[in-house]
Amino acid sequence: MKKFKTLTIILAGLFLFTSMVGDTEEGDKLVGVWEPSNKKVKVKIDKISGKYYGKIVWLREPIDPVTGKPKTDKNNPDESLKNVAIKGFRMLKDFVYSGNGEWSDGTIYDPQNGSTYNCVIKLKDENTLDIRGYIGLKTFGRTDVWKRLIMKKKNKK
Amino acid sequence: MNLKVLIFSLFLVPIVTFAQEEEDYSMYDDLEYADEGGTTYASPKINGVSPNRFINVAWDLQSPYTLNSSEIKGFTPDASWSTKESSNVSYTGGLRLNANIPVVSRNNIVWQMGANYMNTNFSIDKADPSDDPILSELNSRSLKTGGLFTTVYKPLNEKQFLIFQGQADYNGNYTLSDFHSLGLTKYSAAVLWGKRPHDRLQWAIGASRTYKVGELNYVPIVMYNWTSKNEKWGTEILFPARAHGKYWVSKKSLIMYGYELEGGSYHLEGLSKDGNSFELRRGEIRPRIEWNRKLVGFFWLNAQLGARINYGFAYDELENGKEFFRGFFGKQEIEAFSSLGTSLYGLVGISFVSL
Repeated sequence: MKKFKTLTIILAGLFLFTSMVGDTEEGDKLVGVWEPSNKKVKVKIDKISGKYYGKIVWLREPIDPVTGKPKTDKNNPDESLKNVAIKGFRMLKDFVYSGNGEWSDGTIYDPQNGSTYNCVIKLKDENTLDIRGYIGLKTFGRTDVWKRLIMKKKNKK
Repeated sequence: MNLKVLIFSLFLVPIVTFAQEEEDYSMYDDLEYADEGGTTYASPKINGVSPNRFINVAWDLQSPYTLNSSEIKGFTPDASWSTKESSNVSYTGGLRLNANIPVVSRNNIVWQMGANYMNTNFSIDKADPSDDPILSELNSRSLKTGGLFTTVYKPLNEKQFLIFQGQADYNGNYTLSDFHSLGLTKYSAAVLWGKRPHDRLQWAIGASRTYKVGELNYVPIVMYNWTSKNEKWGTEILFPARAHGKYWVSKKSLIMYGYELEGGSYHLEGLSKDGNSFELRRGEIRPRIEWNRKLVGFFWLNAQLGARINYGFAYDELENGKEFFRGFFGKQEIEAFSSLGTSLYGLVGISFVSL
């Protein structure tokens, strides 16, 4: 009887560990560099302490045409953040993998107007994301398609 | 010695961590798609555009004005008419509700459905039913508009787009217990083709079927939305329906100035006989200044102050309720006229918006 109990605990532990590792692997499919459909930025998504965050790592137009200097987050409602560089800014925050190729509970920030929206991310295929930013209810939102970017493969001589 | 190493290490750790956070962004200059690249479509918005209202609740109010009305008889469209009676309208106003909900909102298509309700109450002095049945009818039952509308924005590529708008309005002085025939519903539509050369400019041309000035009309339309480089100034124009200049005082405060046409054709139940529809063709021009102010989150206040200038306040009798197109050259008779003195108007509303 005691042996049976021990075996059950070990099996349950193994099952839990396996499913956790499986979920982690699935969830980590979000990690990488992605490009929104407007192709104005590239966003690198990393996993930090179990949650997923995305920061802007490239800008098509890095210089502000008005100031002639690198673009800053001038539309941020927080005065103290208006001078922070857009490049490196975390626009995706706090995403948690909720299974079935979906990440939720996060937010997306639009530097164009300084607004932060609720957001849900869906993996359409290995290299395509549906990113929906919304206000309160998913109905009041918009979906954008992001594509995965990779390092250029070097041509073999 | 070991203590020194430990202290040195403690100082070194944050420096090393900081160095790790300093990323070489140039490595992202030269990336390629993992499979095929995405398609870029012209966005329905431009930078610095005014907040898009999902839901709006507002109250409209006009200052007193004089209303001169003619006899009821068949006038030719270009007829001169004399005032039969002059009345004072001491109150004109009412509630306005508007909802505009995205059904599909993706980068390759945006489809929105909406509903609107507008109520206009009149308080006309000396409106005696035996002496002036039209004014009495307006006095006793408010004018209402209940409408459903849809907008489809279809980008064709990175620069070009199509817009289709359709609207069905149920206009009249109906009440909850006394609806008129759905056959009197007024249908409007617009189609536009346009370009979005860059993030601060969007223009389009098209045509519309409209009741904006009361009567049915077919007019060409021009859209021109532009924002200055510093994203402070701009225009939002859908000519001839409305045209506004704009100035962003701050990210939370927007001032708009310009005009809007407003109107419709309203079935007046008490004056409609023998299956005909007696309709008020009401159209007005509203030059105004509008202040939009963020309240909290995505809730904004909008307040308008301007003039209400009469464009048309005439009456037609539609045989068996059948609509007709008079246009600028039609000879169909007009049953009666009214002319309204210009009044001041104000509107205050709260909106749930998207930026």
